[in-house]
Amino acid sequence: MTFAVELKGITKRFGAFTANSGIDLAVRQGEIHAIIGENGAGKTTLMNVLFGLLQPDEGTISVNGKPMAIDSPAVAINEGLGMVHQHFKLVPSLTVADNIFLGMEIRRRGLIDRAAQVERTRALSQKFGLKVDAQERVAGLSVGIEQRIEILKVLARNARTIILDEPTAVLTPQESRDLFQTLRSFVDDGMTVIFISHHLEEVMAVSDTITVLRDGRVVATRPKQELTKRELVRLMVGRDVSFDRRPRHIVQGESVLEIEDLWARDDRRLAALKSATFSVRAGEIVGIAGVAGNGQTELAEVLSGLREASHGSAKLHGKELVGCTPAEIRDLGLAHVPGDRLARGVDRNAALSTNILMGRQKKAPFAKNGIINWTVVQDEMRALIKRFDIRARGPRDVARSLSGGNIQKVVLAREFTAGGDMLLIDQPSRGVDIGAQEAIHDEIMRQRAEGRAILLISTQLDELKALADRIIVMFEGRIMGVVDGNTMDEDAIGLMMAGVDPSDVKEDE
Amino acid sequence: MKTALLPDGLIRTLAGQALAFVVALSLGAVIILMIDESPIAVFMTLMRGAFGDAEKIAGTLLQTTPILICGIAACIGLRGGMFNVGIEGQLFLGGFAAAWVGFAFALPPFVHIIVAVACAILAGAAWVAIPAYFRVRYGTNEVVSTILANYIAVLLTSYFTIFLFKRPGGWSETPPILPTAYLPELFSFSRLNIGLLIGLFLAIATAAFFRWASAGYAATMVGSAPKFAEYGGINVRKVGFSVLLASGAVGGLAGGIETLGVHHRFMEGFAPGFGFDGLIAALLANGSPIGTIFTALFFGALRAGSLLLEVDTTASREIITVIQALIILAVSADLMMRRRGDRTGERRWKF
Amino acid sequence: MEVLSTIFNVALIVATIRTTAPILLVALGGSFTTKAGIFNIGLEGQMLIAAFFAVLGSIWTGSSLGGMVIGVAAALVFALVFAVLVISFRANEVVVGLALNILAGGMTISLMKAIFGTRGSIVGRGIVGLPKVQIPGARDILGPYTQLISGYTPLIYVAFIAVPVLILIYGRTRLGLYIRVVGEKPEAAEALGISIAKVRYTAALLCGLLAGLAGAHMSLGYITMFTENMSSGRGFMAVAILIFSGGDPWRVLAGCLLFGFADALSLRLQTFGFPSYLVLAVPYTVALTALFALSWKARPKLIRETIETMQRALSVHPAKSETPDTSSNRS
Repeated sequence: MTFAVELKGITKRFGAFTANSGIDLAVRQGEIHAIIGENGAGKTTLMNVLFGLLQPDEGTISVNGKPMAIDSPAVAINEGLGMVHQHFKLVPSLTVADNIFLGMEIRRRGLIDRAAQVERTRALSQKFGLKVDAQERVAGLSVGIEQRIEILKVLARNARTIILDEPTAVLTPQESRDLFQTLRSFVDDGMTVIFISHHLEEVMAVSDTITVLRDGRVVATRPKQELTKRELVRLMVGRDVSFDRRPRHIVQGESVLEIEDLWARDDRRLAALKSATFSVRAGEIVGIAGVAGNGQTELAEVLSGLREASHGSAKLHGKELVGCTPAEIRDLGLAHVPGDRLARGVDRNAALSTNILMGRQKKAPFAKNGIINWTVVQDEMRALIKRFDIRARGPRDVARSLSGGNIQKVVLAREFTAGGDMLLIDQPSRGVDIGAQEAIHDEIMRQRAEGRAILLISTQLDELKALADRIIVMFEGRIMGVVDGNTMDEDAIGLMMAGVDPSDVKEDE
Repeated sequence: MKTALLPDGLIRTLAGQALAFVVALSLGAVIILMIDESPIAVFMTLMRGAFGDAEKIAGTLLQTTPILICGIAACIGLRGGMFNVGIEGQLFLGGFAAAWVGFAFALPPFVHIIVAVACAILAGAAWVAIPAYFRVRYGTNEVVSTILANYIAVLLTSYFTIFLFKRPGGWSETPPILPTAYLPELFSFSRLNIGLLIGLFLAIATAAFFRWASAGYAATMVGSAPKFAEYGGINVRKVGFSVLLASGAVGGLAGGIETLGVHHRFMEGFAPGFGFDGLIAALLANGSPIGTIFTALFFGALRAGSLLLEVDTTASREIITVIQALIILAVSADLMMRRRGDRTGERRWKF
Repeated sequence: MEVLSTIFNVALIVATIRTTAPILLVALGGSFTTKAGIFNIGLEGQMLIAAFFAVLGSIWTGSSLGGMVIGVAAALVFALVFAVLVISFRANEVVVGLALNILAGGMTISLMKAIFGTRGSIVGRGIVGLPKVQIPGARDILGPYTQLISGYTPLIYVAFIAVPVLILIYGRTRLGLYIRVVGEKPEAAEALGISIAKVRYTAALLCGLLAGLAGAHMSLGYITMFTENMSSGRGFMAVAILIFSGGDPWRVLAGCLLFGFADALSLRLQTFGFPSYLVLAVPYTVALTALFALSWKARPKLIRETIETMQRALSVHPAKSETPDTSSNRS
């Protein structure tokens, strides 16, 4: 039996940190092989090693039975490997065909032959059933189509083994299903697919063989049939973790946030949030579900004052937020955990105590008459490190030196102690390992119990399922529907996330 | 945080800076050899010119003063994430404004100085106000706009001097300022004046402001993580504008001190290159006002030494500009930095 | 009226073309770095050093071509230093650019003193200027307007021909495509095995080449001399043009023509007795005003929804035409 790809004893270190340690991986020809693991388990490092973007410190790689050194992506491409990255690497100002043939342009007399490239793109698109318009510019295309272009890019290079890194993170459930069908058809043609994910359900749905990574090591490689979801989680995390719905008391508080007919535009000045109307009560967690990029970011930015609303109103305790500055909104009692944690939530190069001071640099007891008392700030930081179980040596640690989960805890610590009774939490567990995720969820539930009103934006349905009292589903900036957290129907949410009103479907049946 | 005025990682920074100095000085030596001079002779002449006797040392400090104050102006900008390359222009306008108050009005002693200095400060701030407004409101690159403004400032002050306020019989200079506006001198044998003390005080005050004031914290955060600052409720535009305005004001102050303390008049090309020297001194000190005291002193010594260089050797005094540029280039390469694997590693003005 | 007609005539157009050329060359050079995603404030220094070495080279070799080659070589050395520090050492591009400008200023003066023993300027001493190109037959067709296209130094033709050449490079060649990709989305280039560093080095050196030509034109073109800091901010004006043109060759040309015109006009005004200092400030003021005006024009404008936009936004929805009623909770 020859393996499409075989890795033996791959070890990759970054300084003192070992990202991959003695990894053995054998991928059979003609199978969909999933590699699953938490954030930071070493999946991406491993694939970068395989694709020649990183060089392993130890170990060997064989492709189609031939051992070889892959020291650049060019070598990998030559050997029939193709990689579809998690973050698409398309050039917005170029056309689809230009993007597909970038790096292998068809040239005639030294000049790029656009017509031939378009021709070849059409042929490829037809052959593999991936519909694209070859002459369209990539800027403004939907993520689903962008992914198709990325796959075509790989196919145009005659790849026989395709690596996909977290391919479904930005897709709707329906788009994901289409993708899986495409992958299946590739495998039926004798190609091989390596599928990297941390998403249990889809791994179970699509793969033939599953390899689980944890802390840079392979913990198991098994055919899918031999595994259950619960087992997979235990393998990934090393212990049992419950994703069950958190138990809760019904708290019927008064309405804290009232949003009515709220509109906003995105950076391209297109309507991104359309006529949002809903409310959040004290002691209630309202979840916002939806595929990334359907107006959730804009909603969060408008509510926190970072983006101007183009129409409508949002009232916090009856006071209008639209038109207020972020500082005024903070003073009205809104705390915000931003989705883009590393850009918005912290200064990565600053000490933790400097980070915790943000927003309160003029307030007692941290400052008096405009002079900061750093001793108080340090003490506060030390207390927060203890209370939020932040893994840091002390207040002088630079934020950058912490893991994603711990940086998130720093942000939560700052925002949850800012005294606001409305919490706007955007993607609390993005890039956070499962252990820290649990702790973060505990903290959110604690805030709920204390009677705070919480608006929780997440692209992960599991998270909303576990936490939210009500789930609002957004699609293309619009609210498609509201679902009760206790009795939620995942299919209905999935349809709404794709822009279909479930009541329409029922009528059709 | 007990290191107070000194930034973290000081040892590493200093070691890196020292290595850069060595590299730059060796390159400088090569260039000096290229122009047929002995590097050692040039160096000795520079040292003698800078520190030969009390008068020479005072001369060095005299050159240090404007570099230091301009350096602080640059530091203020850099801490707030703004590259004020227009200090040269602010210096010229501040210098002219102070001279104008100095010769055109008769005021009691002391009051005269205060008014003249205030006008210099205002002129510097006003000159940077338009580039600053467009920077924070419409994102106009402040590096280019302030550089272009320099050329206009120099030509404009020359125009004022030669066409509007020319000293009768003199060449391209204004009438001398009244003695009531002279800055008090520190020693009898030199024009060294209290400007140096003002500069030192300003350096310490600036460092303390960024370290302990709430507003200083806001400015630092706008400089180092603008999106975070915006999210945290800091008015990024207002802070950015204030930072540039303050930087320009200090630049104007430098010009005022130069005319009131040294030249006692404004003349065409009265303080060439001090603005750029200040910027370089601030960059070399990594934006630290305290560090700038030392780098400004170093550049002041080079400048003072270069005067003797031109007398004693055939080398041009601009050779020190070459050495300064080489030092900055060597430091910018950050020779001590271990190259990290990530190719997108963020680099702000910290170089 | 008579004054106006003496100011605005064929000679002014010719003067505009002449003053546009050097800034056009250097701005087109900067177009490569701009497109490759490098902010190159060091154009000024590259031009200045090239101007000096072009003069030196023409004295040494006794030919203007030799001078031009040596001038360009000097600019390439500066461009290489810039590239090594910015691309390989990842130093701050503004700092490196400014330092190289200062270095160029100091070095040219020091070398002038060392070699010629003077300060200020080098005139005569065997400097060979660039020849003027007479286009054969132009006089027969254009008559008095011949000077519009004929009789310029060769680098002026090079500057204007470079515009379509650059458009071809960006639009149709692999190098141009890679330069654009590296500037717009470096990770795309990296993922496809295109070396970002190699492309950026190429762009930086191409920039040095054109900046060098611009410098050589300055000192060997219409005036054959070198003066201290003779680039006098042309390089910075080029950077201003690059900022609002985004490096697009047509827009670079438009911007350069504007400055060339301002330059030519200010020279003309000087002969009419306007104070020279104010007249000299005209090109810088034009550059600054253009910079401000264009960034003002590109400002993000807040859009408020109207009934019409709201209806349009809601009606394009694929599945349903009505706003889902969310105000009444379904839970």
